[in-house]
Amino acid sequence: MHKKIAIIGIGITPFKARYLDKTYFELAYDATKLALEDANKNGAEITHKNLQSTVYGIYNELFERQFMPDIFINSYLGMNNKPGTRIATGGATGGYTVRMAYAEVASGISDLCLCLGVEKCNDCYDEQTGTTTPEVLNAIAYSADMTYEYPMGMMAASSYVTMVNAHFEEFGNPTEEQMALVSVKNHGNAMNNPKAQSPMKITVEDVMNSRIICYPFKMLDCCLYSEASAALILANEEKVKELKVENPIWITGVGAANTDCFIGNREDMGRLYSNIYAAKAAYKMADLDYDKIKDQIDCAELHDAFSGQEVISYEELGFVPFGEGGKWIESGGPFIDGEMPCCPCGGLIGCGHAVGATGIMSTGEAALQLRGDAGKHQLKTIEKGRAISHSIGGPGAAYAAVIIMTNEEGLKKP
Amino acid sequence: MSEKFEDHQIRDKIQIDYKYTMGGQSKFFIELMKNKKLHGTKCAKCGKIWMPPRKHCSECYTPAEWVEMPHTGTIEVSTIVWYGAAEFIKNVPYGCGFIKLDGADNSLFQGIFSENLVPSKIKKGRRVRAVFKKSDEREGKMTDFFFVPEDEYETWANKPEFEGGE
Repeated sequence: MHKKIAIIGIGITPFKARYLDKTYFELAYDATKLALEDANKNGAEITHKNLQSTVYGIYNELFERQFMPDIFINSYLGMNNKPGTRIATGGATGGYTVRMAYAEVASGISDLCLCLGVEKCNDCYDEQTGTTTPEVLNAIAYSADMTYEYPMGMMAASSYVTMVNAHFEEFGNPTEEQMALVSVKNHGNAMNNPKAQSPMKITVEDVMNSRIICYPFKMLDCCLYSEASAALILANEEKVKELKVENPIWITGVGAANTDCFIGNREDMGRLYSNIYAAKAAYKMADLDYDKIKDQIDCAELHDAFSGQEVISYEELGFVPFGEGGKWIESGGPFIDGEMPCCPCGGLIGCGHAVGATGIMSTGEAALQLRGDAGKHQLKTIEKGRAISHSIGGPGAAYAAVIIMTNEEGLKKP
Repeated sequence: MSEKFEDHQIRDKIQIDYKYTMGGQSKFFIELMKNKKLHGTKCAKCGKIWMPPRKHCSECYTPAEWVEMPHTGTIEVSTIVWYGAAEFIKNVPYGCGFIKLDGADNSLFQGIFSENLVPSKIKKGRRVRAVFKKSDEREGKMTDFFFVPEDEYETWANKPEFEGGE
């Protein structure tokens, strides 16, 4: 039996293209303050002084224009003379950070742990074009192997698109129209999330007509880079009782895996193997069944950096058999009123991608759904009391982390 | 009454120069630069050919030996890039993808050039051949060569700035 660890506080700042009024450590402060307020809403009175440790999720030093940005946040948050550890695993940083915060509390070295993600990318600025994005992409491109891949123009989009293209070659899926449906769904879901950066009511045609980025990804198939922070407060069972938390969301499964970062080394290039291994590990720990997972959970916050990648994730996380992800979105399955909603908050395509903060935001969002506190994008029914959050990233999507959560009712269900 | 916020932004830059050693992989780059040869490595135990080369087989934990690879191969998967990082934006549109050299066990990421750069021209299964920069332009880096569809090889190899392999 695994130790019972709960999320007792959730704080998410708005995801915005640019905060001119805040630095990364000021954003981190905002999310921490929000998480503390959330933890205290039933009358507890914890402050930052009660938090025993921090796990920081920050992907990119070049965004923050600062090496070891965590120690500067540690100072600003008043967390001196306590342990703080940074996780950096590309786009999967958020999910991995939740996993390590879980491990801190489960191991007993911390009873009350702050799990904090932050990223502020749009301080990068390309002087040639007078815009931010090409320089943000420069800062990310160094994530590819610097010797064998970066010099020939390997970037996030060109890396992910090759896996989607290889998957299409093997299964005839996802088609461009099926990918476009993900964009329609997630931009649409974001319309009900006041913290989202890209709420949009669009059609498949709008996506198909948007400018080509990396064949066949188009502008509206890709998430936008974002600035934000997200924080969770994790507690063990004794603390949950002591603080009289009325609606703890228990983390019952944490799974992670790193697959080969060289796509060319993989047995099948059309697989995001890290997804499969991370999901299976998380489900096993939570005593859930890979082949029946869609019937065992209410919703999933997936890592949809690119639309086609979300379709493949339906298959790799076990929601549908391989090759049937495209058909599932055509049938409406992952839509907000569908069989098993995916990215009800809008995901990365709808909310934006503030890398280190993203997976912590999606874990927080899934937890809010289980609490019934998601606001305008709250799902109508939470029956099983369980949800998934999923993070993936790094060169060739080499890193993945999957978190399983449940509310009190979900604990009692088979 | 709250004070009106006025933002302040500064110009800054992070830049580091390197003289980076290629270590145990040095031979690959020397052979590429001097002789237009592409070397992989072969595990002495399981026989797997690593391309890009590795000095040790990551499966068997045993040394791998240098082996010369052909200049021809097959496209496994590709894309055409139309927008990207500031470093590469001057090159768009450009083709790139994973090429399995004949006899190799894994695929190499490389630029795929074509006179007619459309997805069908560089799709899975197309045969490609390596073209090199001229000897005085080669630096012992991956950008010393690229691949072209086999039927365009002569065209590219005869351009003044490039040359074919031997």
